[in-house]
Amino acid sequence: MGVKLFSFVQFSSAAFRRTIFDGLSFGFLLAIALLVILKPGDEQMLDMKTNGFVFSGLFLVSVLISLILNKNGIRTLGEHIFEPDHKKGQQIETSWYYTLWGWQLVILLLVTFGVGLDKTRFSLNELLDEDGFDGAVRLFNGIFHPNFTLLPKAILNIVETIFMAFMATFLAIPLAFVLSFFCAKNIMKGPFLFSIYLFLRTLLNVTRSVEALIWAIIFSVWVGIGPFAGMLALMIHSVASLAKQYSEMVEAVSEGPIEGIQATGATQMQTIWYAIVPQVILPYVSFTMYRWDINVRMATIIGLVGGGGIGTMLIQYQGASYVARSWLYYLSDCSCRLDFGSILSSITFCPQVESLACDFDFLSFLSGFKIFFCC
Amino acid sequence: MQALQGVSFDVKKGEFLVIIGLSGSGKSTLLRCINRLHDPTSGEIIFGGKNVAKISGSDIRTLRKKVGMIFQQFNLIPRHSVLSNVLMGRLGSMKVFPSLLGLFTEQDKKNAMKYLQLVGIDDKARIRADQLSGGQQQRVAIARALTQDPQILLADEPVASLDPATCHTVMDYLKKVNQELGITIVCNLHFLSLVRQYATRVIALQAGKIVYDGSPHEIDDAWFERIYGVGAREVHIN
Repeated sequence: MGVKLFSFVQFSSAAFRRTIFDGLSFGFLLAIALLVILKPGDEQMLDMKTNGFVFSGLFLVSVLISLILNKNGIRTLGEHIFEPDHKKGQQIETSWYYTLWGWQLVILLLVTFGVGLDKTRFSLNELLDEDGFDGAVRLFNGIFHPNFTLLPKAILNIVETIFMAFMATFLAIPLAFVLSFFCAKNIMKGPFLFSIYLFLRTLLNVTRSVEALIWAIIFSVWVGIGPFAGMLALMIHSVASLAKQYSEMVEAVSEGPIEGIQATGATQMQTIWYAIVPQVILPYVSFTMYRWDINVRMATIIGLVGGGGIGTMLIQYQGASYVARSWLYYLSDCSCRLDFGSILSSITFCPQVESLACDFDFLSFLSGFKIFFCC
Repeated sequence: MQALQGVSFDVKKGEFLVIIGLSGSGKSTLLRCINRLHDPTSGEIIFGGKNVAKISGSDIRTLRKKVGMIFQQFNLIPRHSVLSNVLMGRLGSMKVFPSLLGLFTEQDKKNAMKYLQLVGIDDKARIRADQLSGGQQQRVAIARALTQDPQILLADEPVASLDPATCHTVMDYLKKVNQELGITIVCNLHFLSLVRQYATRVIALQAGKIVYDGSPHEIDDAWFERIYGVGAREVHIN
């Protein structure tokens, strides 16, 4: 059976993708059906081992379903999406109403929406609840009746925040500018340069996937709580994001001017400067402005975890209120202990870092925060 | 698949050599091998007594300094001025740092203006290159190639994206460059009427092989059919 099954898959990448997609989508539907029918308790839901087995089984069953359906000429959604080019346009045009893939898509969307309603505990009751609504009105009232005695301090903090964002962007520009050319496929040709390209791209992806908030926590341990830590966190994140956006612009430049300059006997450096930079400079400017915009916004949030500026002041004053306290307790409960040594070592790919004994206790960090701000 | 096979010919100094052939017959590949924008897999290309088919790195740049090239799509830098575009012909002869700062010498600027005058476009020197018409852009490209002080000028279908009238202007300037400055020209062309008017010698390529090598005036209808295939009709540009 197995051999026969795989002989018609033919291992083309389109068939592979189709099968994986169908496996996941049918598997998802089957899993939801199973959950609705069995209604497992909390304990069962947390049992990763059994659940993992069940879901893998459902996935395999779904893969089988997909293979059998496609073998019998019934188009699944996966086939419809990942159909190879040479097969396109050979089907007779029919309304989606009469196709399996159409209904698969509709049911998939509806079920996902339903699960979404359940998972976000969507409730019109809560939204229209009178007590809750009064609370929101009170808060809004507060916004329109500010306490002006705090204004001078707030202004100073806002200035600090804006300059954090400015410095982060300003320092990120030259770094990202240089990196962008090393991260562009059309420049890094040849095995040696391409391996540098791959390394830098991976490094940037990892850096970017670590939220600026986490960078702020790392830097507030490194250089101490304050605007400097926030600025560094924003800068790291900006470099990673800008370098990626910049390098994609470099990859999209037209080849003509490059050849034109190369044909004059120019070096690689001169070619980049005269043929590529004029083509990318405008998108660079617009990306940079947008990044500054993001940084100003992020600088506020980063203040919440010790990055300085208006965010720090905000959490300081919220700290006195019930809301903030419950938020902090929630964080300290669910995040438990974060092992910062291992996070750092995995980010830097440097096992020595782990042994630097920078084991950082998130709980004590937060309680330190609470003492710091609430008194 | 080989783009060119057994292609062998000499180009004499001061010649206006035109290469003709169908699209895909290897004309562009041939031209681009000469200044090493393409790397030939085997064979020899002798330029100035040196085999340039296997050189690399700075040797390629030295070669390209002596070989000017103009392209079908002109390949100017749109955002730079005409003068700045022409000055880029000097990049190969400059040290990297002065060139990145745009520190071109007075002599370079004088030369650039001289060549712009030669192609009759010196009044547009301060205008951005992308504001010129196609024919004007191609003339700027010729001036850029001339500022390199080349011994040979490669022209890859220089008039293919121009209208018939502009075609002749650009070809006239190439002829002027050939006759007044004595620069050898190797040029890809599509139109036989242009070939007869400007070339001193013609090479015809078919599927990567030379099928004709000789005077442009001896290409009659029989030759035309052999080069372009039976049933092809000649297009005249006047």
